Amino acid sequence: MSAIDTASRTSVRTEEQAKEFKDGLIREIPNLRAFAASLSGSMQLADDLVQDTLLKAWGNSDKFEPGTSLRAWLFTILRNTYYSLYRKRGREVQDSEGTYAERMATHGNQESHLDLADFRKALAKLPEEQREVLIMVGATGLSYEEAAEICGVAIGTIKSRVNRARTKLAELLSIGSVDDLGPDRASAAAMQRVGSENIGS
Amino acid sequence: MNRLDAAMSETGEGDNDDFELVLDPKVQESIGRSLKAHYDDIVNAPVPDKFLVLLAQLEATEQRAAGASTDERN
Repeated sequence: MSAIDTASRTSVRTEEQAKEFKDGLIREIPNLRAFAASLSGSMQLADDLVQDTLLKAWGNSDKFEPGTSLRAWLFTILRNTYYSLYRKRGREVQDSEGTYAERMATHGNQESHLDLADFRKALAKLPEEQREVLIMVGATGLSYEEAAEICGVAIGTIKSRVNRARTKLAELLSIGSVDDLGPDRASAAAMQRVGSENIGS
Repeated sequence: MNRLDAAMSETGEGDNDDFELVLDPKVQESIGRSLKAHYDDIVNAPVPDKFLVLLAQLEATEQRAAGASTDERN
């Protein structure tokens, strides 16, 4: 429980402020998990990452400015934690277990199941710097300005990364679509890998 | 509204130097839908209890600490 003690070190808040902050964190957990999974490619890593993020956020709550976006603030913490601690682990997990795409495609309705799995495989192939901004501006509701601030780059850079990400995804998905019709998921995935390697070269 | 406008009109305006390729709007739309489907699927998944337990522990520890310092002052 030492992590909890550390996180509680700076307690200069009133009980109401603490409650409000805690409720905000609880509200953001689903978004943190979705962003973490998109970054790390693994639901298990994502939940470890979210836990670290919540601990850091709690310990640094005095640095959060009320009235600004809690989501953007939390995403900044999560992203920094990912790049400093998790990036290497993420690659190892993906190498040993494959991407999370297959294992995660259990929620949602069955009709879109295959499409979603294919999309996740393609998403996992994007360079991190493109994937993170595409998720931020395309799915989380964050603005381009917020994404630029979170990543510490200019808005123009965010825009060009988003465009490159979309172009690359379109490329990957049109290649994948033929193989996806096959009955054998494993061989379809193998064919897809071969296909994407050809494209990349 | 500003955020939505920004999201809708971002397609390369004033930033064309960085990329030549402009995607078919239908392809962009399709990618946008898939992105949301991927993300919302996880957002809508049940949140593991351990996060709520963790936050409750943090809150309880803080309240204990606050109580202790109040006692010291008295």
